Amino acid sequence: MRNVIAKLALAAAVLGGGLGAAAADTANIWVRADGSNFMPRIVDAYNKAHKDQIKLDIIPNAEIIPKYGAAAAGGTAPDALSLDLIYTPSFAAAGQLEDITDWAKSLPYFASLSPAHVKTGTYKDHIYGLPFSADASVLIWNKKLFKQAGLDPEKGPANWAEIAADAEKVNALGGNIKGFYFSGNCGGCNIFTFTPLIWASGGDILSEDGSKATLDSPQLRGAIDLYRSMVKKDLVPAGAQTDTGANFFAAFAAGNIGISPSGAFAIGALNTQYPNVDYGVTFLPGKDGGWSSFAGGDNFVVTKGTKKLAVVKEFLDFAYSLEGQTILAKYGSLPVRGDIAKDALKDLDPRYQVAAEAMAKGKTPYSVVFNDLINSANGPWTQMINEVFFGDDVDGAIANAQETMQSIIDQAPQK
Amino acid sequence: MTTITASTTAPARARKLVGAGRRQWIGLIYVAPAVALVMVFFVIPLGMTAWMSLHNWPLMGEHAFVGLDNYGAILRDTRFWNALKFTGYYTVVVTIAIFAVAFPLAIFIEKPRPLTNLYRTFFFMPAVVGFASASLLWSWLLNVDSGLFSPAAYDLGLIDRKFNLLATFQPAFWSIIAMVVWKVAGFTMIILMTGLQSIPQDLQEAAVIDGAGPFARFRAITLPLMRRTLALALILSVAGSILAFDQFYIILRGGPRNQTLTAVYWIFNQSFVSFKLGYGAALSMVLLVILVALSLIQLWLLRKPEGLD
Repeated sequence: MRNVIAKLALAAAVLGGGLGAAAADTANIWVRADGSNFMPRIVDAYNKAHKDQIKLDIIPNAEIIPKYGAAAAGGTAPDALSLDLIYTPSFAAAGQLEDITDWAKSLPYFASLSPAHVKTGTYKDHIYGLPFSADASVLIWNKKLFKQAGLDPEKGPANWAEIAADAEKVNALGGNIKGFYFSGNCGGCNIFTFTPLIWASGGDILSEDGSKATLDSPQLRGAIDLYRSMVKKDLVPAGAQTDTGANFFAAFAAGNIGISPSGAFAIGALNTQYPNVDYGVTFLPGKDGGWSSFAGGDNFVVTKGTKKLAVVKEFLDFAYSLEGQTILAKYGSLPVRGDIAKDALKDLDPRYQVAAEAMAKGKTPYSVVFNDLINSANGPWTQMINEVFFGDDVDGAIANAQETMQSIIDQAPQK
Repeated sequence: MTTITASTTAPARARKLVGAGRRQWIGLIYVAPAVALVMVFFVIPLGMTAWMSLHNWPLMGEHAFVGLDNYGAILRDTRFWNALKFTGYYTVVVTIAIFAVAFPLAIFIEKPRPLTNLYRTFFFMPAVVGFASASLLWSWLLNVDSGLFSPAAYDLGLIDRKFNLLATFQPAFWSIIAMVVWKVAGFTMIILMTGLQSIPQDLQEAAVIDGAGPFARFRAITLPLMRRTLALALILSVAGSILAFDQFYIILRGGPRNQTLTAVYWIFNQSFVSFKLGYGAALSMVLLVILVALSLIQLWLLRKPEGLD
């Protein structure tokens, strides 16, 4: 028996030693499923051109946070991961990430990296995350249905009144055609596509540093009235009320929806999966014009204490090259380097230009408790949007959400 | 004389003890694998949970000992108590509904008659589907735009506007009850059927000769003799309902407007949405105590009356 154990130990030592002694280093990187289109391509391109290698794991969106937490506790966390940018502050606050301030500031193109990403990647004046992939919210409309309804198919709505009027005209086509679609029970979808309507009109839902909830504003109230009026006129499919995000993209892609707030990701997805849908892309407008956008996407973060820092840096440097940015843009992410964005998008669908511009001036809320406040299916934001869009007591719902959000912010462990 | 008897019996007793001792050792070896399994998969995790519940234990980063602070926080956590209240309401409703469906079914399939086996299989079938898959299936059936119930009623002209079953509390709640009864009643039916079949036929016949009607026989013979079976079915149903999570998570996401958050759902949210594992562990301990207490009460209520065997 003892003999067997000794042999096993020896075998393990040989195996372990063999791996460690390999000439090239391999770093392990995780990405959420949203990146499953572009991430394998850029990793492949990197691996072909470099001696050091990247091993990529794709994790389902909802599981990547708990899985990473468990792996970190067990000492098996990946060397780096591409993390939904809104989580960067809370990960940094938990002391889980490597401080990459010096390296980031030494990059010659640091100043032209997506400002929204760098802002969320910064915690207490140290940089823990750098932009990797980007997605900006935009408004998309179905040109075929616009034409049928007697509207100019080349001109998207530019303010709230036009959204409501155009949606009503398209809806009048009847049958299973509806004017407008949004996921009415999805907090993440609506922070992405609904809050820009408020921002573009001069309001906000959180203070700049995330320490105050500011839901009680005429701009929020106005945007709510816009959605409520469309729900009341039956311009929105009944399923919107209970859609937790599953139909966020699919509803418009089916071709029966006139207008829908969406994201830059939809351009790539529609072009490759639904080439028959003829659509236009414009900005999410304010009440009387102007526009705003939610600058979303992933930050690239490094696990504290990893031994593969050199490989990880080399990979990120490659992703920031023109070649890397072009691969990203081609497969569904916007470029994150402002100075070469135009070149990276040069040969692509011109509708990307709108999204790239939206990204450059986009906004991202900053909070260490973003998940609790906004994304959680049972959080105050999700509950409020469902109540105010479809319920009877708008004022009560807003007041309740304001109070709950503020108490979650106040109870947060660190600020 | 007494000494002689003592000296003759003593060695015999000693030999007996040695034999018994050896048998006990062999017995211990036989149960060792089971004990090991229970240790690894139950006792140690339970101890770990209790230990974590005394800490501020985030999903990431350092944990710190906080004593009973988590338990103090539970007392002030109104949303947990609301979730517990809803769980209690759900448990009562669903248990009554399951028994109301399963008991008639059990009586129906107990007696051999043509096609009995077919009916048994038919009623039992949903029980072999996992809760998660059943929830996904029903989440499609209940969908207002692309599902079955609402579009079918609309196409048949029964309603003039598609009705979203999951949008308000009452229809959403009763949809879940219907789904759980569909899924679980077959299993409860089989348990109740074995109880029914264990009642000796001559008791029923004697009662018929004595002139007892069907209701009197059910009350005076069937129910008392099924005491143990009922206890088993009841405890399984109550424990299962108090731990309900999948169907509310998959079909309703705790909605509409967070009115269907169960206790386990709240624990899941605290642990994996808010990343407070320590607090989640404390909530789990509280739920464990409640569940054990409820099971003991049920066993006591359905215990064997004195003097009966």
